[in-house]
Amino acid sequence: MNLYRICYKKVGPMRYISHLDLLRTMERGSRRARLPLAFTQGFNPHPRISFAAPLPVGVQGEDEYMDLELESPMQAPVLVERLNTCLPYGLEILEAREVKGTAPSLMGMVEQATYVAVTIRPADINEKSLISSIKAFMEQQEVIIDKKTKKGTKAKDIRPGIVKLSGDSKEDRLFIYMTLKTGSRENVRPEEVLRALVKGYLPLNVEDFRITRTGLYAAGERTLFAGF
Amino acid sequence: MEQLLERILATVEKPSRYVGGEWNSISKKWDQAEVKMAFAFPDVYEVGMSHLGMQILYKVVNDRPDALMERVFAPWVDMEEKMRAAGLPLFSLESRRSLAEFDVVGFTLQYEMSFTNILNMLDMAGIPMRSSDRKGDNPLVIAGGPCGFNPEPLAPFIDAFVLGEGEEVINAVLDVYLAQKQQQCSRRDTLSALAGVEGIYVPVFYQFEYKQDGTVKEFKSDSLVPTVVKKRVVADVNDVPFPTRPIVPHTDVVHDRMMLEVMRGCTRGCRFCQAGTIYRPVREKDPENLLAQAEELVRSTGWDEISLTSLSSSDYSGISEVISGLVDRHSSERINVALPSLRADAFSVELAKEVQRVRRSSLTFAPEAGTQRLRDVINKGVTEENLMEAVTSAFKAGWSSVKLYFMIGLPSETESDLEGIVSLARRVLEAGRNISRSKGRLRVTVSASSFVPKSHTPFQWEPQDSLIELQEKQRFLKQRIKGKGLTFNWHEGQVSMLEADLARGNRDLAPVLERAWALGCRFDGWSECFDFSKWEKAFECFGIKPGDYALRRYSHEDVLPWDHLDAGVSKKYLALEHKRALDGVPTVDCRGGKCPGCGICPSLEINTQLVGGKSVEPVQDLL
Repeated sequence: MNLYRICYKKVGPMRYISHLDLLRTMERGSRRARLPLAFTQGFNPHPRISFAAPLPVGVQGEDEYMDLELESPMQAPVLVERLNTCLPYGLEILEAREVKGTAPSLMGMVEQATYVAVTIRPADINEKSLISSIKAFMEQQEVIIDKKTKKGTKAKDIRPGIVKLSGDSKEDRLFIYMTLKTGSRENVRPEEVLRALVKGYLPLNVEDFRITRTGLYAAGERTLFAGF
Repeated sequence: MEQLLERILATVEKPSRYVGGEWNSISKKWDQAEVKMAFAFPDVYEVGMSHLGMQILYKVVNDRPDALMERVFAPWVDMEEKMRAAGLPLFSLESRRSLAEFDVVGFTLQYEMSFTNILNMLDMAGIPMRSSDRKGDNPLVIAGGPCGFNPEPLAPFIDAFVLGEGEEVINAVLDVYLAQKQQQCSRRDTLSALAGVEGIYVPVFYQFEYKQDGTVKEFKSDSLVPTVVKKRVVADVNDVPFPTRPIVPHTDVVHDRMMLEVMRGCTRGCRFCQAGTIYRPVREKDPENLLAQAEELVRSTGWDEISLTSLSSSDYSGISEVISGLVDRHSSERINVALPSLRADAFSVELAKEVQRVRRSSLTFAPEAGTQRLRDVINKGVTEENLMEAVTSAFKAGWSSVKLYFMIGLPSETESDLEGIVSLARRVLEAGRNISRSKGRLRVTVSASSFVPKSHTPFQWEPQDSLIELQEKQRFLKQRIKGKGLTFNWHEGQVSMLEADLARGNRDLAPVLERAWALGCRFDGWSECFDFSKWEKAFECFGIKPGDYALRRYSHEDVLPWDHLDAGVSKKYLALEHKRALDGVPTVDCRGGKCPGCGICPSLEINTQLVGGKSVEPVQDLL
């Protein structure tokens, strides 16, 4: 068992590739880098790569995590260097650490994520009005959105999943910072929060925001490298 | 532009189609290339990126220090709508420049139903649609590929067509372009110089007058251009550039694997098959060469599957050697080998067994016709016994689903031929029930496409079945091929009819195409976009009906709309093959060493090229 926990970023043109595409790209990059990938058993072996939490298409990630298993051990810095020469522009490995002993699975660990959404500031909104809009939004007891499911739409209250929400303005830009529940237990998407926010609180277009996930955390705001 | 684009990308499906940046894609400095070419594929990214020809030309052009090639695909309807609303022109993936900024734009003509997309892409780039309206600073618009052998319906829109294999002629085109640019020649002079390159057809220098039935009444060509344009072929396939560092898409594409071309051409001589004529003669690559290229592909792409591509890979002489070489070298890295085209015989199944570690996928065979009589008419060279042996060994080896491809509407077809399809399908299922260990998952899928007569084939004179006949035949099969374990698929007859119109049509169809585009026809090969009523309207505007060209029978004496375009197989030979077809007489494959006299080798001064240096002595003039 040679398990490595890897922190990477997915930015620029790579923010448009889907989660499945990312898995394929990581696998192909690993093959090009000639990493001794470990595969699952059975009829249809696939490489043992798993991710912390999928990024929505269009959202960048600056602090993303995946676990990668190799058949033979490798120095973590060598792994980083080799893989980085074989990944397309927009994907970059920042750090790898060998997981000693047993670490809980990434997907099971992830509890919340931080995001920043940026847009051009229209003339009729300033920092002050932005902050008061956010305050009013957060004072709601519940924020009901229509969530598309396989069987049509269903109402969902996302307010409990919004941990923090704040904003500021620099030069001609508006920034909105979010801390949201993410993972298997409770999951709120940044775009859902923006959609609810612009409906009645902030007259802006959701499409005009560029969203970046800035961090992923385990319970108690611990990093995903914690515990080994 | 970037901000506009970003806004749009947030709202369209599969935005990765439009962003580029894939592994092995090449972004050269714009200003350092003297000639800038765009490769334009008139369909979506996932289809275009599965096209080996594009990867080949991308390499050839980008290997030149004085040139660059970038890619552009047809934006899907949602993207088109948003781009037009935002005033964004059609742009290339690499540098995001408008198609109008390139010197040369090259379209590939893979299937007739992509023609309206070509017009749409020109329009989206702001390039005048008709060649005659283009001015000095508009790009030179060229096109090549299989439909280039009867490109007449597109003649007014394309400056120059390329006939045959592109890897050498593309360099000649760019050289001519550069020389003309340096001398600041007029557009017409450039076209004239291009027409002097072998394999280049510049439609403006050829005039036609047609008879009532669409055949040629009078034909005039400019004194400076060849009366007949001959296709280009590559003499030695071991000696041409092959893309061993192809672009690896991020997103799921139709053929998401390495493509290793093992040979060019196919000499089986199926009489409905245009590829069999236009890619002649057979030229096989050396096994060592292939294994070396495979090694490079594996290293440079990271794909986990390698496909041995050609028109008929189980016919390639070195197939066993190449497969065992690939398995020896790459199976430890878990690289799968795929055979896309299997002959319907036990040998092919043996090959498939060797390469498929996992027997999940189904095996596909193409008997094409339901009776031996009709298989002899089309010269298929496969017997029922061959097919039964093939499926028997497939079921024994653990495959539980088999696909069978047939064609309906072939010349001389009767009801008993259709009954033959039904009984063949049932026999195959029966064999499965007797052998297969997983009876529950057993599936025989029958696909029936409609025969489309194509230029440069022995059936080029033959009419297509009428729409009513085709639909009747589909109904006949639908009623009989059903029940547990049987699935029947068919193609929309209207699409096949338009395909035949365009495949056998002439320049009178150009305004129809233009009108169809103006009425909103796009992505006609996609059932969710195809709208036959728009096509009917477009035809009606010019006093003709869909099917007018498809349903015509041409005679051997007629001058056909494409007779000035020479694929190297003589018209006399095609006529002889046509007669043999109707007499049910098969013709041998020249691989066996006996030349049937199709004329390709003497006409192009080329030889077949088989593994081990074997060659076939061509008969100089059989006819």
